[in-house]
Amino acid sequence: MLRLYAQLLRLYPSPYRQQFEDEMLSVFHELRSENTIHTRCRRGIFYVREIAGVLRGAARERCRTLRGKDLGLFEGGFMMRDGFRFPKATAVLMTLILAGIVIAIQKGEAIQASLPASNPQIGPIQPHSVMLSSIVSFLLIFYAAGSIGWIILLALRKLRVHRLDESSR
Amino acid sequence: MEALPLTEPVLLILLSLAGQAQHGYSILKDVERMSDGRVVMSTGTLYGALRRLLDDRWIERIEERESPRGRQAYRLTPHGRKNLQAEVSRMKHLTRVAALRVAMKES
Repeated sequence: MLRLYAQLLRLYPSPYRQQFEDEMLSVFHELRSENTIHTRCRRGIFYVREIAGVLRGAARERCRTLRGKDLGLFEGGFMMRDGFRFPKATAVLMTLILAGIVIAIQKGEAIQASLPASNPQIGPIQPHSVMLSSIVSFLLIFYAAGSIGWIILLALRKLRVHRLDESSR
Repeated sequence: MEALPLTEPVLLILLSLAGQAQHGYSILKDVERMSDGRVVMSTGTLYGALRRLLDDRWIERIEERESPRGRQAYRLTPHGRKNLQAEVSRMKHLTRVAALRVAMKES
């Protein structure tokens, strides 16, 4: 999982990585080795939160690099915003998908660990090397799709389309 | 005063650094403790907020020569402390007004 996390950190812009990559890896490692997350459920929640946090943070930093300023779309500023939130159903769906991926990785690791012991003739399987790039692409596609939908909703809200609808009544 | 009110995670990060300089892991744990486990930040969220606070000079990094690789401490700058005090004053005022209004309604 540390390897997946390190791979995801590559999504951040290079100056950000130079400044924070080692620290983020170090803190992630400390959190992961905490004894409070040794149950499977809590560990799953922890991984989902961390992966979602890195994806959101990387998207925010990329936007900032492109625009030269914080956009406010991904917790961009310090200021408190109003009640507009990422749709809960989408967040739940993305969380479930991420949880599935994390469980699949854990299963893969378990198979990798058990196979050579039960049958030495079968060589070790390397699920990371096969799955990692496809998992990252999969996550990025889902996250990009969710973000686009969110941006459209935000744009509609900023254009006050709902008020036009109200005024036409 | 600029950039007030603050988001809850940013406020908690600043409060965590108000007493003493802290490393990233300590900040996360302190925020969780202060909010009774309600606010649990990911490392991505924490370092995004720290980056913005550093850019705006609300906090600064402390050079620690003997610190292991990947561990950096952060502390409030005078500018950050001033803004934090302004936010606390704003919240105090709001709490006072809210208490008065609730009491008025009850009586």
